[in-house]
Amino acid sequence: MKTTIQEIDGKLVATLSGELDTAASQETQEALQPLLNSEGKDIVIDCTELEYIASSGLRIFLSILKQAKSVGSRVVLKNVNEVVRDVLELTGFVSIFEFE
Amino acid sequence: MKNATKSWLSRLWIIVVAALLVEIISLVQYKRIRGVMEEETEVRAYIVLGAIAAEIGHMMELTEATMSENLWEVRRNLGQPDSLFPAMKRLIDDNPHVVGGCISFVPGHSPSRERLFEPYAYKWGGKIKTMQLAGPDHDYTQNPSFRAVAETGVPSWSDPYLYGRDSLFNLTTFSYPVLDGNGEIAAVCGLDIDISWLGDTLVARQHFPSSFGLLLTRDGKLVVAPPADRTAPEKVEQVMQLISEGKMLSADGKTVIHRVRMNRDPYWQVVEVYDTEEVYEGMHNVWRKQIGFILLGLAILFFMIERFAHNEKELRKATEKQARIDGELAVARNIQQEMLPKTFPAGISGHLEPALEVGGDLYDFYRRDGKLFFCIGDVSGKGVPAAMLMSVLHSLFRLISGKEESPSKILKALNRQLCESNESNMFVTFFVGCLDLYTGKLRYSNAGHDKPFLLPGSGASLLPAKANMPLGVFTDTEFKEQSLTIEPGSGIFLYTDGLTEAKNARRQAFGREHVQEILNSCIKEGCTSAESTVAAVSEAAHAFEAGAPQADDLTILLIKYEPGELLRVSITLINDKDEAEKLGPFLKDFLSKLELDRKTAGGLRLALEEAVVNVIYYAYPEGETGDVTVYAESDRSEVRFTVVDSGMPFDPTAVLSADTTLDAQNRPIGGLGIHLVRKLTDSVSYSRKDGKNVLILTKSII
Repeated sequence: MKTTIQEIDGKLVATLSGELDTAASQETQEALQPLLNSEGKDIVIDCTELEYIASSGLRIFLSILKQAKSVGSRVVLKNVNEVVRDVLELTGFVSIFEFE
Repeated sequence: MKNATKSWLSRLWIIVVAALLVEIISLVQYKRIRGVMEEETEVRAYIVLGAIAAEIGHMMELTEATMSENLWEVRRNLGQPDSLFPAMKRLIDDNPHVVGGCISFVPGHSPSRERLFEPYAYKWGGKIKTMQLAGPDHDYTQNPSFRAVAETGVPSWSDPYLYGRDSLFNLTTFSYPVLDGNGEIAAVCGLDIDISWLGDTLVARQHFPSSFGLLLTRDGKLVVAPPADRTAPEKVEQVMQLISEGKMLSADGKTVIHRVRMNRDPYWQVVEVYDTEEVYEGMHNVWRKQIGFILLGLAILFFMIERFAHNEKELRKATEKQARIDGELAVARNIQQEMLPKTFPAGISGHLEPALEVGGDLYDFYRRDGKLFFCIGDVSGKGVPAAMLMSVLHSLFRLISGKEESPSKILKALNRQLCESNESNMFVTFFVGCLDLYTGKLRYSNAGHDKPFLLPGSGASLLPAKANMPLGVFTDTEFKEQSLTIEPGSGIFLYTDGLTEAKNARRQAFGREHVQEILNSCIKEGCTSAESTVAAVSEAAHAFEAGAPQADDLTILLIKYEPGELLRVSITLINDKDEAEKLGPFLKDFLSKLELDRKTAGGLRLALEEAVVNVIYYAYPEGETGDVTVYAESDRSEVRFTVVDSGMPFDPTAVLSADTTLDAQNRPIGGLGIHLVRKLTDSVSYSRKDGKNVLILTKSII
């Protein structure tokens, strides 16, 4: 699991690569910690290379979303693949996130 | 009920109207016939009376002829008194009706010294005697007949009168003037005629006991009446009164009078009287009887119609009822057939043929957690009661086996349920099996049912199954559970006694040995499908029955254990969070062998990961080390994950799923795991077994 965060055009862009399973979730959560202090900037999570996500990964997504909403910023999931999108649909996450 | 009364009333009305019509027709006919009869009676009366009148007239003519032919001798001897006697003798001898005759001389013409002279001849005892009648005590000049003839010279007939010494005769006298040489009336010659026969004739000619005849004079004076001992004088008097009033019918219409007057002097009248009641009594009786018979006939007809209508109604009711029962039975049969498994996976075939519309046999099978649960049962008796119990059993079997996989425990629970409400004392033989499709382990328990056959490749043999007690007998029955592992390709052949006890016309049973022979020959000939084996056995049973009626429900269930290529791996982890890392490679390796698409593989991986992580995180108390074993199995049609841990009893299926409709702010962070497990698999079942939590996930991959 590889995680990078960049600031592009005033947005925080997190790129996730690999499988976000339970084993990888703690490490990923730590890596994504800066997103919890977004200071009003919009957040983009680039899922182009995210192959798999477990409920622990969803929990990270949800905590980022809750934090961002509280400061009035947006969270956009980008290029979600079929497998991950299925999971998002099964859990109802499609209705609370924005997609690009 | 209202309609029934209405139709009954309408039928009664028809009969009443018919009765009235018949009565009216009958009355009209009676009146018409009576009219004809009255005419006929009248005509006959006139014929009879006319004949009598003619007879009298004829007799009178004869007498008049006698007089005119023989009077010359009297005239010649008018002056010689002695000669007159023989002359008179000859005169009366000439005519048999004449009983006597006299010459009554007009005073002044008497040839004797006496003023009055009356020689008389009469028939007595076959002889003719003579005597001289005139004397002090017999002045014939006082006789009106004599005077009339002597004065007018016109011959006349006297009214009938009674005369006689020893016995009385009815006589009438014909008086004729005798002229002397000067042409003066010198005497009156009288001939006495006996008309006593007339009275007899008037009686003899009567047709009815109470009818009678009368003879009246020209003036209507009664001269001949029936004897008092035959007809009451009062009756005669009443009739005379009617005649005097010119009536021919009494006021009450009961007395009818017919009267014929002679068409010559002396114009006597012959009368016949009869009683209408007597004349028409016979006919009246016939008519009354006829009416009685007709009414009786109609009453019988009505009774018959009622019976017929009643019977028809009963028949219609019975037919309707039968049709309804037939319809309901057909529905019941459909319901029952619907309960049976409709689709048979490869390797399983079932056959159930009820002897009646509905039956008390059942079989069932279904797959749960990679295990095949199956049963066969036979409710004592057959028909509707058996079928109802069978339906209950079927539901109970599904309900109980859905939570419990031990056949003996399933039987125990079934038995308890059945005993609780078995007031009709029915019992059921039942066999329950649970075949693990990944391992071939067969667990089974038998409640008094026929032992199934085990069909390995080497030949059919009876499955060693302890009989135990049937269901529904004792509440506390314990059922022994047995198990064995069967080889792929083996089969279990279950049946009810309807098969082994199928009877031919000579009441011989098909027999278990016979079944075994057929199964063996099937194995030898390489009957590959379960379906063809079941068909071979049921056809053999029917061929054996050879048209004899099926005595009992016939049920067969054949389960062949034909697993595909089995894949089975397992891994044991300890409850450390790092251990979760091992799960990914283990699963990827297993799933890659099944050649699944990315989405299915991803779903399966996520489901298992969530289930296992749940155990690692929550099954054991903080700080306590435990393990979790995962079995991943597949027969290429289904994937089964079994997660076993020794932690605290915990049923994740009882946890409520996360509410996936809440918005972001209200979403709880947890609760997603079990939700995903449910969504991504076909079934999730939990059981606590031997101190362990056993969670089984299955997912079809076909």
